[in-house]
Amino acid sequence: MDYFEVFGLPKILGIDLAALEKTFHELSRKYHPDYFSTASPSEKTQAVRMTALLNDAYRTLRHPIRRVEYLLSLYGFKPDGSKVPQALLMEVFEINEQLEEVKAGRASIEEVDSLRAQIKEKRERFDKELEKTSLDWDDLVRSGASEAVRKEHLAKLAEILSESSYIRNLERDLEQ
Amino acid sequence: MPKIVGIDLGTTNSLVAIVEDGIPRVIPGPDGNKLVPSVIYFDEAGQVLIGNGAKEKMVEKPKNTVFSIKRFMGKGIDDVRGDLPLLPFEVSPESEHIIRLKIFGRDYTPPELSAFILRELKRNAEAALGEEIKNAVITVPAYFNDAQRQATKDAGRIAGLDVLRIVNEPTAASLAYGIDKRKQGRIAVYDFGGGTFDISILKLSEGIFEVLSTSGDTHLGGDDIDEILIRLVLDEVRKQTRNSENQEFEVSPLIPAIRKAVTKAKEDLSAAETAHIVIEPLGYKRAIDRSEFNSLIDPIIERTLKPCRQALQDASLKANEIDEVVMVGGSTRIPLVRQRVQDLFGRMPHTELNPDEVVALGAAVQADILAGGKRDMLLLDVTPLSLGIETMGGVMSKIIPRNSTIPASATEMFTTFIDAQTNVKIHVLQGERELVKDCRSLAQFDLRDIPPMSAGMPRIEVKFLIDADGILSVSAQEQRTSKYQSIEVKPTYGLTDEQVEQMILESFEYAEADIEARLVIEARNEAETVLNATMKGIADDQYPNLSEEEKTEIAAANKNLREAMRSNNHQAIREAIERLSNATMHLAEMIMNAAIAKALKDKRVREIDNE
Repeated sequence: MDYFEVFGLPKILGIDLAALEKTFHELSRKYHPDYFSTASPSEKTQAVRMTALLNDAYRTLRHPIRRVEYLLSLYGFKPDGSKVPQALLMEVFEINEQLEEVKAGRASIEEVDSLRAQIKEKRERFDKELEKTSLDWDDLVRSGASEAVRKEHLAKLAEILSESSYIRNLERDLEQ
Repeated sequence: MPKIVGIDLGTTNSLVAIVEDGIPRVIPGPDGNKLVPSVIYFDEAGQVLIGNGAKEKMVEKPKNTVFSIKRFMGKGIDDVRGDLPLLPFEVSPESEHIIRLKIFGRDYTPPELSAFILRELKRNAEAALGEEIKNAVITVPAYFNDAQRQATKDAGRIAGLDVLRIVNEPTAASLAYGIDKRKQGRIAVYDFGGGTFDISILKLSEGIFEVLSTSGDTHLGGDDIDEILIRLVLDEVRKQTRNSENQEFEVSPLIPAIRKAVTKAKEDLSAAETAHIVIEPLGYKRAIDRSEFNSLIDPIIERTLKPCRQALQDASLKANEIDEVVMVGGSTRIPLVRQRVQDLFGRMPHTELNPDEVVALGAAVQADILAGGKRDMLLLDVTPLSLGIETMGGVMSKIIPRNSTIPASATEMFTTFIDAQTNVKIHVLQGERELVKDCRSLAQFDLRDIPPMSAGMPRIEVKFLIDADGILSVSAQEQRTSKYQSIEVKPTYGLTDEQVEQMILESFEYAEADIEARLVIEARNEAETVLNATMKGIADDQYPNLSEEEKTEIAAANKNLREAMRSNNHQAIREAIERLSNATMHLAEMIMNAAIAKALKDKRVREIDNE
């Protein structure tokens, strides 16, 4: 049973978080091991496993990026998470250089702030693109697009995800 | 339904509580005290005192009066070396993987020592309730790692208790706090006790207590404040003596007396502006006012605020988005602690519940939920630390992130590197750092009996499962043959199952024959339930979907268990149970999945009906 099936959802990326939480609470009330403490050992084990599956599914689906990663993994895609965004090659090169300066302790607070703002702007651009491409996926699913078209779209999603995680890693590096 | 008690096994004090007619209450000891000091005194004749009686011996008999044992749970000697100079205990040389205190020539591990306290609480509950108590919920600091939780569970077993659940202290406190108020919103629980600090952020909605994040320090508490004051006194005493007698003197025999005096002064300062540290045998007397005290302890309080900020960040919340702040633990009586917490969250923290009792009351509420008393409340807790495995180059690869709701699981694929390899080693860790050496080693697992194949051919699926107690278990299956692999677990810190069983045997409560008989009865009871569940499974619609091989194995394992039950060998029964459980695992999974699919379908039908 995959994470979408746990929640009775089709494999789409636009998810209503309030509804997801509501279902999560309802299913927790049904299967949580707390309610099986007097049951047989095998029923107890099943309650633990089911609740673990439910929790794993909720943790993954409520998070916009983990959700995309998971969908991709279901179709055999494995974004490598460190792909240099081709469209931003020069800019990223510059950012990396500045980051080295920061790491070496040679940057002023103003320079760090400006770098932070630059990376954030790029990250937000990717977030928007990821969101749009995700919603396009939902349209393809709803309109019953052919498998070839879907595969092609997933490949595009994987590309965007890899590039956006690259930026996200830069952001994390800066904060450390 | 037998009664289930809730136990707060604290660093300084321990309590036992129960819910009766929907109301939780702390059960006092025969002396009328609700708090049982977590102190154990051993005398030469082998007699043991626990609680207030033992506390009185701390100054007089420091070497054989054990206190704050909770700080040693799940630790090795290297973890606590810094504390040892101020502690009067003799540590056995064999303490690398589990600390052993030597008392009158006998080694005691922290779970065995904690078991003395648990037994005392169990006796108190039995005397007050007039029946035997076998089941308990025990609380631990939220930031306890796997080994510390397992050590607490072991302590329960050694004390003759079936520990139905390990609950996090701040979460338990939130249950006690939220029980009669039907609260909604986000609450932060700041739990600063004798030895540990926790912060948990929860979201309350319609009886569901969902922990969003937790952080803390399992080695930060009132004890650290005491240590600062002890060092202050020692410095001054040293100076005085040096001036008058011009010689160094042995300090360690004085520490228990100093500890007692500074603890009193610390407590006095929560109500008064000035207090006195008086150590009569030394002829030492000194006034300390609140502002001096505050400046001494400020760095300690600052260390609690960092995890608070981390927890807020992990919950994606700002301090002003917290609706209520609840204070738990004796150290929150200190005015500066209250002030700093108020400053951080921008609101007055709740202090109306007794900070010493609220955790035990919450544990009793959780016990009541487990007993089936309260179906409308549900606690969804998280794992405080990320779980990972060692990968190439000594790097830790995270597989379950911190603050994941538990139970939680992760599946990883492993394979072999050389032809006909039948063993694969897995190293499991907990922590947030990138390198293995900076994380806490939990255990080494050996995947064994892998069918010999070419390198890279076997696909062994390993499932890591953190249960509702926050404790890890591992199962493995070879994908090509669907065979469950045997796994040998070597916990890095702590006791093996065999050692715990040995300790139960050695504990004063049971004669050897008794325990054998008890183990056989327990195994038979469990066998009975497994057999019944199997009968139900065979009658299920899903059964025909199994392969012939699986059906044959179920039948054989079933027969095998029935035969084993006739013997008086509890290990043979356990092994037969294990075999039948493994044989029926796939069936049980299919039944569960079908039930879930049905539940989901029913739910959607209901929703459509409602429209």
